[in-house]
Amino acid sequence: MSTRPFPKLRPGIWDALVAAVVIVLAVVCAGAFWVRGTLAEGELTAVVSMDGQERERFALSDGEMERTYTNHGYTLHLLVQSGELRVAEADCPTQDCVHTGTIGQAGQSIVCLPARIVVQLVRTGGSSDVDVVIG
Amino acid sequence: MKLTTRQLTLCAVLTAMALALSYLENFFPLSLAIPIPGVKLGLANIVTVFALYALGPAQALLILFARCFLGAMFAGNMNALIFSLMGGVTAMAAMIALFRLRRLSVYGVSIGGAAAHNCGQVAAAVLTLGNTAPLYYLPVLLGVSLLTGALTGMVAALLFRALEHTNLLKM
Repeated sequence: MSTRPFPKLRPGIWDALVAAVVIVLAVVCAGAFWVRGTLAEGELTAVVSMDGQERERFALSDGEMERTYTNHGYTLHLLVQSGELRVAEADCPTQDCVHTGTIGQAGQSIVCLPARIVVQLVRTGGSSDVDVVIG
Repeated sequence: MKLTTRQLTLCAVLTAMALALSYLENFFPLSLAIPIPGVKLGLANIVTVFALYALGPAQALLILFARCFLGAMFAGNMNALIFSLMGGVTAMAAMIALFRLRRLSVYGVSIGGAAAHNCGQVAAAVLTLGNTAPLYYLPVLLGVSLLTGALTGMVAALLFRALEHTNLLKM
């Protein structure tokens, strides 16, 4: 095999361009979610899906409550308090869902990969409830 | 693809190093600082970048596959295989494309690879969950990939500088 070209080791303008593209992509993506979250009207609702199928939805204004979900051998304990929601306890190895913390804005979600459970916050029942239901 | 004994040996050593780096990464859990599934340093990417320049795209891909399969086997977690494979292959495709441009330094190639890796993993999450919710994490993941990509690019640059006067890169 022939000698390979020795790699460029100092960052240059083209590297900055790659970084800029990544930043633009991140900002556009974040902006799309933000716009969708603020434009949506209606009651803040949690949508719980397992394996891509919606299982339950409940309004966050219903007051304090606890929910338990089991899927693929893992159990998640959901806690709703003062219009916000978090996974209080889970027996999965990664604990990503617990570390995600508390969510309380439309568009936010908690994902548990091992259990294939997604909890998504949407706004429904308002005048424009169609543009928020995804997945 | 014909491999010389020397290249084959280097492939094997690099695969072992990539596996060791993936394991080492568990001791620096970046996900504790940024609690999002998929956030990690991506130290094994140093090996991929190095293999791409020192051996070529085909060999780098070979090392990547070996790392993904062996890593999933050692961890006893075959569910994670689809994530590491989709992330790894997307990253590899992006890095080969950027490497071919010949205008970028190892930093640009590494950042592009890290960003593509996260896109691939989010795609894998969307597919396995059957839900677009993981897309919500993409902006943060892309932001983190800028830093981790630059970091692994820097390590790769240091590595190449150290090897500049050896004949390891000429084969």
